[in-house]
Parts: sequence; C-alpha cells; structure tokens
Amino acid sequence: MIKTPPYLKPGDTIGIICPAGYMSFEKAATCISTLQHWGYKVKVGKMLGNESATYFSGTDDERLAEFQRFLYDDEVKAILCARGGYGTSRIIDRINFKKFKKKPKWIIGYSDITVLHAHIYSHFKTASLHAPMAGAFDEGVQRDEGGDLTVEDEFIRSLKNALEGRKTRYSCTAHEFNKKGEAVGELVGGNLSLLVHLSGTVSDIKTKGRILFIEDIGEYLYNTDRMLLQLKRSGKLDRLAGLIVGGFTESKDTERPFGKTAYEIIRDMVSDYDYPVCFGFPVSHGKENVALKVGVGHKLKVGKGKVILEE
Amino acid sequence: MNRKHFLVSSGSLLASAILPSQVMSAANYEDDDELVRITPAYLKMGDIVGITSPAGFITLEAIQPAIQQIESWGLRIKPGTTIGKRDFSFGGTDAERAADFQQLLDDPKIKAILCARGGYGAVRIIDKLNWEKFKLHPKWIVGFSDVTVFHSHLSRNLGVASIHSKMCNSFPDDWNKAEPIQVETILSIQQALMGEKMKYIVAHNENNQAGTTEGLLVGGNLKTLESLAGTQSEMNTVGKILFVEDSGEYLYSIDRMFWNLKRTGKLNKLAALIIGGFKIKPDDPGEEFGRSLYDIVLEKVKPYGYPVCFEFPVGHQKNNFALKCGVRHKLEVKTEKSILKEV
Repeated sequence: MIKTPPYLKPGDTIGIICPAGYMSFEKAATCISTLQHWGYKVKVGKMLGNESATYFSGTDDERLAEFQRFLYDDEVKAILCARGGYGTSRIIDRINFKKFKKKPKWIIGYSDITVLHAHIYSHFKTASLHAPMAGAFDEGVQRDEGGDLTVEDEFIRSLKNALEGRKTRYSCTAHEFNKKGEAVGELVGGNLSLLVHLSGTVSDIKTKGRILFIEDIGEYLYNTDRMLLQLKRSGKLDRLAGLIVGGFTESKDTERPFGKTAYEIIRDMVSDYDYPVCFGFPVSHGKENVALKVGVGHKLKVGKGKVILEE
Repeated sequence: MNRKHFLVSSGSLLASAILPSQVMSAANYEDDDELVRITPAYLKMGDIVGITSPAGFITLEAIQPAIQQIESWGLRIKPGTTIGKRDFSFGGTDAERAADFQQLLDDPKIKAILCARGGYGAVRIIDKLNWEKFKLHPKWIVGFSDVTVFHSHLSRNLGVASIHSKMCNSFPDDWNKAEPIQVETILSIQQALMGEKMKYIVAHNENNQAGTTEGLLVGGNLKTLESLAGTQSEMNTVGKILFVEDSGEYLYSIDRMFWNLKRTGKLNKLAALIIGGFKIKPDDPGEEFGRSLYDIVLEKVKPYGYPVCFEFPVGHQKNNFALKCGVRHKLEVKTEKSILKEV
C-alpha cells in the first residue's frame, strides 16, 4: 500500500533546494512569491543562487547535506526542487531516508528529479509529485500592473491543487495514435532518459500493473527507439495497466533520417499490447506539464474523444 | 527547463569526497557466472567470412576495400543479403537484417561474421535470433560500437568469445596510401581472426592506476552498455577486465553513464578497467561540467584499488585495435608503460 505524505495546510513550510544543476535566486523569485501568495512559508536552501563556479549548484557534499537537512527538518512539509539538470544520481546513494520512511513529505520536481521519484517509489512505497519546478513559474504566473500576483495558469495551479490534497483529474484531447480502454493502477514514470539510466540499479522501478508515463526532450530519434527497446527488453512494457505518453519535444534526427517520429516509435513499440495508450498528455519539458502524484492509484480512461486521468 | 540546460560558468571541481567505508583494498574476484567459455575456431586459409549489416546501411561498393583486403589474407568473403539494402537509416528492415544475420549464424561454412558497420539497430534484432546452431558451431562475430550489443549478449548468455574491432567502413580505400596506423589496426583484425596471441603496449598516462591482473576481457561502447542494463543482454563484469569507449557524448552524460555502471554493480568487482578513446562533445557555453574524463572515472573506481589504464587504443578513432572479448588477458599497468596481452 502506497504511503501518501500529509497534504499541506495554509502556513505550512515548503523548502526549495537545488539537488542537481545551478539556478540563480532571481530565476526562482516568482516561484517563491507565488508559494507565499498561496499561503505557505518558504525556506530557501543555500544552494539556490549559491556562488558555485560549476555546472552544479554546489559540490556533491554540499548538495547532499542540504537535501539531508531539508529531508530531516520537521518544519519543512514539502521539498520543491528548483530545477533538474544533472546531478541527483551523484548523491542519491548517500541520502539517509530513515526518518523520511516514518515521516514522509512531498518531494516535488521532474526531469533529473525522476531519480528521486523512482528511488522513493521503489524503496519506500511513498508518493511524490512529478510537477513544474521553479522556472515554470516565470512563464506560468502573471502579475497585475501593480506587480501583485494575479492568476497562475492551469499547470502551475495543478501543483497548488495537488499540494492542497485535491484529487487529481486531468483531461486532454484524443490523439490519433491512442488505444482506447480503461486502466487502473499506481502511476509511475518520468523522464525516459533517466528511467533507462536507472535500469538495473537499486532505484529501478517495477511497472507491472501500473500506469507508466514518459516524456523527454532533445533526444535523437534513434536513441528514443533504443530507450523504448531498453524498457521493453527489461520487462517494463509488457504488463502495464496503461501507458501515458507526454511531450517528446525538440527531437533530433540523424543525417540519414530515422524514418519515424517519436510518437510513431512509441506506438509501434507497444502495438502488441492491448492496454490503453494515450499520446500528447500534458506532461513534458514544455509549458504543458501538470502535477502528477507518482505512486498514487489512478484511473486512466482513453476514450474516443478525450482522455481522462483521475485519482 | 531543458534537462540539459545548465546555467553555469566555467570552473573546476574537485572530485567528491569518498567515504572511508567505501575505501577497500584491491581484491581478486573470480568470474561468478557459470558459463563455459568457448573460443570459436580461428580461421584458416580458404575459410569464409560473412559480411552483414545488423545496424546502419552500407552499399556493396563501400565494402569493396574490406573484401579485397580480407581476400588478400587468403580468406573468402560472402556478402550477406543486407549489403546494399536500405530502410531509412537501417541496412534493411528488422526482419531482413535478422534473417541475414541468422543465415550467416546457421551456415556452418561461415567461420566469422563481420559486421559491415555500426550505427544503430543491433538491439532491434537481437531477440529475433536463434542461437542453437551457433552453439553447435560457434564462430567469430566481429565489430564494435553498436555491435557491442552482440559482444555483451554473447558474454552474458553464450560464453562465446568475439572480436571487437574496426569494421568494413574503416578499411582504407587505397591500401597503398593508407597511414601506418590504419594498416596496423586493420591487420590486427587478421591477427585476431587467424589466432595470433594479441599484445598491446600503451604509453604511460599519469592518471593510470598501477597494478597487474588477469581476467576475461569484456567491454565495448559505454552508451550501448548502458542501454543494455536491466535486459537479458546485460554484461556480467565480475572478475573481468572491462574496457569502455565512447564518442560524441557530453561530459555530464559520460558521468551519468559511469554512475549507471557503478550503480548496476559493474565496477566494484572488476579485475581492471581500461578506458579507450572518448571523443567528448564540448560543453555548451555556460554549461561547463568542470570535471575531466579522468576525474569522472577515478572518483568512481579509485577506491577499489584495481589497475586502471587510460588512453588505450580502442574506440571511434584511427588507433582502434582488434580485441578478443571473452578471452583471458593479462594487464600490467606500470609507471613507464602498460601491456595488455592474451594469456
């Protein structure tokens, strides 16, 4: 049975950290003020805007120490990763989750943060939030002329709704490649490159009977094909309850064209299976990226006209 | 919010601290898989080499230099049905490539299968192949890069040795005008196929970790090895001398792939590690990784204490010598030079 961390109440504290790539404080400013506007207190880690001369927000030891501190800080009810990039794999095996197991809290992010989602799901059967990170607030939140926050778009709002404990319900229009049907299962997934990178490691996820969602950005088509084959050959595609395909944005092709789009590659890879499959679901590195409760049971309905995913 | 979009300026970064508990002294691990190791019969004059395209497409014209050269060794050539075929980037459809490979596997007169080139595609056909006749009549499978899929699959499942080497697309058009390194590396394929004991001498690199060890040689393209993790073709590296090479990857991606090797248990019980050529894709401006290939490798493996040899002549480069995968080798990494030789 999946453990769901407590949802947030007004006045609760959200911690913002950078476990992977560097991010300036300014880039996270809209996120911070929006979270405060929603009624939360915000505790910002030192790695955000840290004077790091490198690719990472800090050294492995610094990033690890900060993650550990926020994980063990009882005041912090949720940890929002400001951005992905690359680097969570470098510290994951050194994080101590002992206290987290007993008192879980929401871990929020996507892309490189897929490492945390997979690890937490496979080890601790605990839910986490695959959701927009700090940078998305810059585009997704508007201010009025006085500079006050006004409305956030539906994607940013989906994170607020999830934090407040509202039941997930998303719908999107049907895609011509969709395979109709209904599926019920725990929702797992994330960034495809990271999912295959975790293959065979202690953070690897089991997908049997689950609803898997995948998205990626900037991959060569042949590599997308290879990654899907790796999922298939490691037994992660044959016994799914359902498959949700998000954005495969900025795909690249080789000089000799691969001959298929990313969606065609995925469609063909699962053509032998009869579970429902939907394409174009709003989970991606683009603007369309809703908050998804990883590990939580969901129902996926792929219908003729539209797709519904609900808790 | 590009996963690969790093907003960082340049700078160096020290290798991360290693916990004392991770430090261990060098230990010898025996192979822990139970496969009987089989070395296919070496080739004799008059034997037939089949050529096929399990991955990218190639024309019959483009393999002529390879045909002429191999025939000059006293061997005969049988081009497979995929040579000259094309399905977008592939040398024929999956079914066509699998059928051609199968036919060469099954024909007892074919003593070696030379993959014409790499690219991408071996993994699309590997599960369609039937190895029953191959088990009765093992033969050499030759190639590198994408062909790592075969080396790894054979090592894991069949225990049959194979040759990691240049392929048809690396044979010089005009043998008389070829550079010495091209001649040497191509002739190393002949030496490996005809059963000569292999020996390689490598110049000292200051990052090498000294030591002497023995074990079965395994390895190949790093990205391809990562793409096999968790599958039935995944390599078992315990007690073995592992070599890896790659081309065109960002440093961060190389780092991530080495973490995959480490986190799938492929680095902790090696006999030794050999690092071949790594043609590194330059960091995008503002996304400098700040660690060298040496940093990336040594922070993962230095605590294990086994020998590490950098800049070994294997990879997507001119100095890419034939290596016998699945055959026992001795590696000596010393301060003046390193020697890898078949035992």
